Amino acid sequence: MPLTNVLIVDDEERFLKTTQTLLEKEGYKVFTAADGYKGLEAVKDRRIDVVVLDVKMPGMDGVEVLKRIKAEHPLVEVLMLTGHATMETAIDGLKLGAFDYLTKPCDIATLKEKIMAAYDKRSAMLEKIQKAKFDRIISHPMEVFSKDE
Amino acid sequence: MGFGIIVADAFFAVTKRGRTTLKDYYTRTLRNMLIIRVFLVPFAVMLVVYGTIIYFFASYSVRQVRNELVGIAEGHRNIIDQFLSEKAAILQFTAASFSREQLRQRNHLDMIFKNLQTQSKAFFDLGVFDQNGRHVAYAGPFDLLGKSYAEAEWFKRVQNVPVYISDEFLGYRQIPHFIIAVKKEETEVAWYLRATIDTYYFNDLVENIRIGSTGEAYIVNREGVLQTKRRSGGRIMEPDPDFVKYATIDHEKTTFFTSGGWRNGHLYASAPIQQTNWQLIVRQSIGDAYAPLVSSTLVSFVLLLGGSVMVVLMGFFMAANVAAQLKSADLEKREMKTQLILAGKLAEVGEMSTGIAHEINNPLQVMKSEVAMIQSLTDDISPIIEDQAPQMLLQLKDCTREIGDQINRCSHITQGLLNFARKRENTKEPIVLEQFVPKMVQMVDQRARLENIRIVQEIQSDLPQIVSDPNQLQQVFLNLFNNAIYALKERISPEIRVRVTKENMTILISVSDNGCGFSPESMEKAFLPFYTTKPVGQGTGLGLSTVYGIIKGLGGDITLTSEQGAGSEFQIRLPIEEIDNTSIQFNHTLSQRR
Repeated sequence: MPLTNVLIVDDEERFLKTTQTLLEKEGYKVFTAADGYKGLEAVKDRRIDVVVLDVKMPGMDGVEVLKRIKAEHPLVEVLMLTGHATMETAIDGLKLGAFDYLTKPCDIATLKEKIMAAYDKRSAMLEKIQKAKFDRIISHPMEVFSKDE
Repeated sequence: MGFGIIVADAFFAVTKRGRTTLKDYYTRTLRNMLIIRVFLVPFAVMLVVYGTIIYFFASYSVRQVRNELVGIAEGHRNIIDQFLSEKAAILQFTAASFSREQLRQRNHLDMIFKNLQTQSKAFFDLGVFDQNGRHVAYAGPFDLLGKSYAEAEWFKRVQNVPVYISDEFLGYRQIPHFIIAVKKEETEVAWYLRATIDTYYFNDLVENIRIGSTGEAYIVNREGVLQTKRRSGGRIMEPDPDFVKYATIDHEKTTFFTSGGWRNGHLYASAPIQQTNWQLIVRQSIGDAYAPLVSSTLVSFVLLLGGSVMVVLMGFFMAANVAAQLKSADLEKREMKTQLILAGKLAEVGEMSTGIAHEINNPLQVMKSEVAMIQSLTDDISPIIEDQAPQMLLQLKDCTREIGDQINRCSHITQGLLNFARKRENTKEPIVLEQFVPKMVQMVDQRARLENIRIVQEIQSDLPQIVSDPNQLQQVFLNLFNNAIYALKERISPEIRVRVTKENMTILISVSDNGCGFSPESMEKAFLPFYTTKPVGQGTGLGLSTVYGIIKGLGGDITLTSEQGAGSEFQIRLPIEEIDNTSIQFNHTLSQRR
């Protein structure tokens, strides 16, 4: 199984650091971003599978970040992390394509489960896409040269 | 206006929530006010009008009675005067027409007497007397011829006057009678013609006068001796027992006077008879004379009394009615004010608690990760230090777990806070209350039975189906039942009453108990999160706040009424709404996504 790349976007530095350590111990590749902009950059620069996104952040808020991620990288799965009071925004997030939401404070175990579920979904999607591409190549082999993704 | 003042007064007077005192106060004040201002003032005016009318009517009646009596007295006096003067004139004419010698002839006198009697039955007999008073000729039923009248009172008097009318006297015949005598001078010698007047005939002239039931007329002379019979007792020639009452009146003119009081008194009218020294007395008992006045006054007074009783009764009813209306309006107003304040307060608290919960959840999240980290690290190093300090390692693990538990506790609290304040996702579905409510009751039935609590369900049949969140409603019911069961501890015949009715376009769910009730202070804070009257550790104070949050979230309303020591009632109003398709669809997608 390839390493799962996780990006955590939260304004709590300590949370980022500890969660990173914990998840890395579990065998994830973890990137962190202290705000939305950095998060978007990270998604752009690295091959991220799952984003854990805090809904309420200074600067760009979680929903906005989610929108942009989904716009540019629709296959990246996003988990919304909500302080509960922002439940509506978390629900908005679901409507905008987030995979699921977690209410703070959440167990690391729960977080891991959700990350895994998200990753599985992404893998399944990617596999499907791969398969579709493969089928296309088989049916129209010449197209491999005409366009590349 | 007066009402405003009263309302204000009542507001200050009733600071504590005492229903009875409030009601009493309203009723009392309003009753007094209504009776005094609305009824008594017009009533007083009415009384004054009534009094004035009665006064004028009474004085008019008195005048009428007086005029009537005086009129009768004068009228009959005139008749009697006329009667007497006519009889005297006839005698004078007879005396003038015949000589003494002619009259002395027996048959001639008889013929004249017969002629007189044909003219008037009043003549009883006729006699001729010489200058010495000897009866020289007589026509009549008695045998009086030859008797001497020299000593008779009338004979003495008639010598000096041309005509003399005597008082009633007995005379030789020993029967009361009176006479009219005329004197005639013939060749220097005087002789006298005398006629006796039929007592009964004359008496009837007067005695037959009747006024009302007690009115009567009679004639007395100057000494108060009755000249005619008195109907109310008193025969001819007896002294009038009531003479003292009018002994001093003016004998020259008609007089009217009152003697005695209401019960035994009489009204008198006295008219002097010119031909004699007699007085015609007309009298009527006061009670009889004023009977119409009294009866009309009485009737109007009874009417007035009846009217005023009705007015007062109406006053009472109206006062009670208005008081009840005012009271309910005022209670409603106060309730609304309280509700508004409460809603405002709760909204504020909601906002604040959301903020707090959110702010606390963030550090809790950090702590949780740290605890996870510590646990992970402890697990990592445990093989290394297990041998050196197994006890310490156990302690460390225990401490860490405890921190985790406490974090969970905190998180539970913040969750409760957010339950109160947050907008939640409602999974609305149709609910049949006739089935739903008994199911809720069943859930606490076992517990209630242990505490000997009776749960009464009054669920209106044919309730419309509502669309709401059953899970959240279940939470509401359980919380309310829990509260009720707690309030019913150690109460006599504890009872919980669940009533579900339709009211306009809402469903009214009432959960009431006869438990210890809320104090006014705790009633205001009942829905505030963390407010609890339970001992430390027995309640978080989040139950009712959650109920409040849920009901508000479901678009409903919840109110609390309670009387300390008597019980409390929660009233929940839920809208009857059409099935909301969008929300179901949304929830559907939501559950799919999970």
